[in-house]
Amino acid sequence: MSNVNTTTFTIVVALFVIVTGAGFAAARWRRASDMMHLDEWGLGGRSFGTFITWFLLGGDLYTAYTFIAVPALVFGSGSIGFYAVSYTIMVFPIVLIFLPRLWSVSRVHGYVTPADFIRGRYGSRGLALASAFTGILALMPYIALQLVGIKAVLTVMGVNSSSTNTYVKDLPLFIAFVVLAIFTYVSGLRAPALIAFIKDTLIYLFVIVAVFYIPTRMGGWSHIFGTAQTHFNSISPTTHKPIGTFVPTSKSIGSTQFDFASLALGSAVALFLYPHAITGTLAARRRSVVKRNMIYLPLYSVLLALIALFGYMAVADPVTAANVKKANNAQLAVPYLFQHMFPSWFTGIAFAGIIIGALVPAAIMSIAAANLFTRNIFKEFFKQDASPRLQTQMSQWASLVVKLGALLFAVELPQTFSINLQLLGGVWILQLAPMLIGGLFTRWFHRWALLTGWFTGMIYGTICAYNVKNATTSHWAASSDIVFGHTIYIGLSAVVLNLVVAVVLTVVLKAARVPEGADETLPHQYTADPEEAPAPVPATV
Amino acid sequence: VAYVTPCRAMTPERKAEKTMTQSADRPKSPVAAHPITSAAIAILVIATIFFTVYVPIYARITPKVGDFPFFYFYLLIFMPITSVALWIVVQLQKRLGTPSSEEQS
Repeated sequence: MSNVNTTTFTIVVALFVIVTGAGFAAARWRRASDMMHLDEWGLGGRSFGTFITWFLLGGDLYTAYTFIAVPALVFGSGSIGFYAVSYTIMVFPIVLIFLPRLWSVSRVHGYVTPADFIRGRYGSRGLALASAFTGILALMPYIALQLVGIKAVLTVMGVNSSSTNTYVKDLPLFIAFVVLAIFTYVSGLRAPALIAFIKDTLIYLFVIVAVFYIPTRMGGWSHIFGTAQTHFNSISPTTHKPIGTFVPTSKSIGSTQFDFASLALGSAVALFLYPHAITGTLAARRRSVVKRNMIYLPLYSVLLALIALFGYMAVADPVTAANVKKANNAQLAVPYLFQHMFPSWFTGIAFAGIIIGALVPAAIMSIAAANLFTRNIFKEFFKQDASPRLQTQMSQWASLVVKLGALLFAVELPQTFSINLQLLGGVWILQLAPMLIGGLFTRWFHRWALLTGWFTGMIYGTICAYNVKNATTSHWAASSDIVFGHTIYIGLSAVVLNLVVAVVLTVVLKAARVPEGADETLPHQYTADPEEAPAPVPATV
Repeated sequence: VAYVTPCRAMTPERKAEKTMTQSADRPKSPVAAHPITSAAIAILVIATIFFTVYVPIYARITPKVGDFPFFYFYLLIFMPITSVALWIVVQLQKRLGTPSSEEQS
């Protein structure tokens, strides 16, 4: 702890204490008469208006890991990292097509998880299990990566570099996570909803200050872009190719435009298939709240674009670039940039923003995973008559287990393992598109066809991702692969295969008159907008 | 017929949503009743997606806007444009008849 800056450290600790207080106080915020119901603990009473939902979804989707990883990718490879900016723009028109329908049908039937909808739509426990399993699988490494975001900040603060013992070294991480686990257990979704206000205020503050202040210290934007352009066009001595691209290229060798577009499109479709994004959506009070958020959330993407530009600032600042190179970890680019550019008190605010920015999505993700486990595994297969109270208790405990698992992930396994799993998580979650998005519009697909398509996509995507190599690693090198001469995001090629299998098998199964399962939803329920939340669903379905 | 690409599937399904809001006793669906509004909604949604997905439009350094190369300027300016476009879409959807009024009727 010798080289820790006291001012920075004090500010981070003070803000963390404030957030902890807010997390516990949230249990009393907008309190309902009976809190032991999943609609309360897991969905905040389905009562959030436009304003709260905007902060909740913003805090949920733009995670600390995003704030660390996107500039890291920009720092390492240039323009390809901006696919994240492109995807957070196109995601909202795409999502506006299907998300209000999911909200409506979930509200009418009291669905808590996306797998609840699958179960009701196709009358298939197996298909619901497959989607719940995929959701939990994709969320675990994602939670672990929030810890990676915290770790990057702590490393630059010098907090965890003094000891060789893993558990002593990661003690601050343990403390942060235990606090997170307890207030999530107590307050449920209300905790991240309340903390999101603090998180977003801090992040908006430091990003806006940084965007106006740092260029004045570095000779303006023309110098930053100029340095980045020269840097990424220079030839790497090891691969004999340009280090990166300053704008996506269309030349046949190393074409990145197709890669860029397919990564953006695949990620955009995948974003609202993630259970934590759906949890944030289902907590909205009215259908119009969901729609209005699709209008206002693109403004949050401005923030992401500016954060991505920090990657170029790190390239253009010789001290930061040297620090990152010395540590051999591009994820430290933004923390090092702030540490070098800002006075220590402001660095403290920025670092606290990133750490708190990890807690909000980690809490929502663990709640989403816990709800999936409770509703679609525990209740469905072990205790069909579980009371709302028992379901809530189950989810509370499951959220602890999920977070503990994520902590083990982050501490015990190499960091690259979590990153690879998260890339795979995106590929996996995209395989839910035919059953979930398809199911919101048509009942044409056959349940067994969807299940087979899902399985095909999962296997194909995993094998493809495993086989991608580059100059330095033999496996898991990237999330893109070459198909028909184009570099394309594996998730997208896998979901196309998934869809083809589902379509072909549906035709076959329909011809063979295989039973299709009962559909408990009605067409008008997909556009319904009930003012009151449904009465608690009886235990038996 | 079997190989429906995701992009093509959006338009008819968007329209199908409108159709479903129609109650049984009404002769015309909202889409049929408001063809221009419906078309405007479809065009706006597809255009916002297309102008971000089709990278060759903006993957260029020039013209620079201020110090910003075109690629970066375009991405920044397209966010408020998307917001405005989606605001118009939501306003137009209200003209098709809100689902809540369907529920009450």
